[in-house]
Amino acid sequence: MNPDDLVEDILGIAPGSPLAELRRRRPEALRHAEGAYRELLTPDDAGNVSHTERAALALRVALREGDAALAARFRALLEKAGAEESIMLAEDLSDGVMEGRLPALLRYADMVAAKPATVTQETIDALSAMGLTPRDIVAVTQLVSFVPYQVRLIAGLRAMQGEAAA
Amino acid sequence: MKRFTMEEVGWTPRIPPVQAETASPAQLAALEACPPAQRRSTYFLTLAQDPASLGERGALFNSVMYAPRGLPRADREFSTAVVSMANGCVYCTSVHARRFTELSKQREAMQRVLDEGHAVETDPRRRAIADFSEKLTLTPGAVSAADLAPLRAVGMDDLEVLDLIHSIAMFANANRLMQSLGETEG
Repeated sequence: MNPDDLVEDILGIAPGSPLAELRRRRPEALRHAEGAYRELLTPDDAGNVSHTERAALALRVALREGDAALAARFRALLEKAGAEESIMLAEDLSDGVMEGRLPALLRYADMVAAKPATVTQETIDALSAMGLTPRDIVAVTQLVSFVPYQVRLIAGLRAMQGEAAA
Repeated sequence: MKRFTMEEVGWTPRIPPVQAETASPAQLAALEACPPAQRRSTYFLTLAQDPASLGERGALFNSVMYAPRGLPRADREFSTAVVSMANGCVYCTSVHARRFTELSKQREAMQRVLDEGHAVETDPRRRAIADFSEKLTLTPGAVSAADLAPLRAVGMDDLEVLDLIHSIAMFANANRLMQSLGETEG
């Protein structure tokens, strides 16, 4: 197991294993995926979107995308922060229309993750009206678009693991 | 089916892009990490509103699409065009179909896929790439080792398969950003 690399930790890819060595033939992809994760989930300057809100959005997208192992990592971040209410809201996939800021952000995450073609100018203007700056809007959109990258990377590597085990 | 094309398509952001003349040092540094040909595009200038994420994500994109050796660039472009079609991103499809055509000179083959979907693809390598690209895009949880067999059958080694996975994953990201942050005009 490799606790320094989220993807390898989830998949149980051991340091020095053939798949770990293969991934190190693309060091920039490794380094910048890690960097994107850091800048999106726990940036030094989070603007108007807190680390807790960011983890809740990531949790929601991982759940919508059906990746339970990845979702568990984001849930753990929220548990560590004692953000029980955020967990409850993020894990509520009932499509009910709840009031409040986090539910509105979670609905935006759902649109971007599952039906990005349904986002309109009004959708973005509603985020601005909630007090999000252009920088916050880009950060949130980057975040909820990055989790789908992780989901497919994990799924592809899992298939390669299965191939090696066969 | 959406009308996919390899002609130039317009894209208008829904938030103001950064102006190159008034960009902050952090914004300029983040843009420098992006592919040289695209770093002054409206799309990248829009993403530059959040320089911290753009710097890392731009460098990731650069590596995934342009890192030397491994999967040939034309295959990466073909895969990302197919992923973009599966995700309904007309803008990304047009860009990557055009790049594939420039690199491969296979304009007719690309146009056929745009018009009729990749089920009509007869080239075994492109067909294997397209099938895997669509499946990992639409149903990542259902992908297994068996889905890699057609890629191996056309001679792909481990690094090529990893590069293909990276390309497909990158466009799960790119297609969502492009469709959410701006309006595509055919």
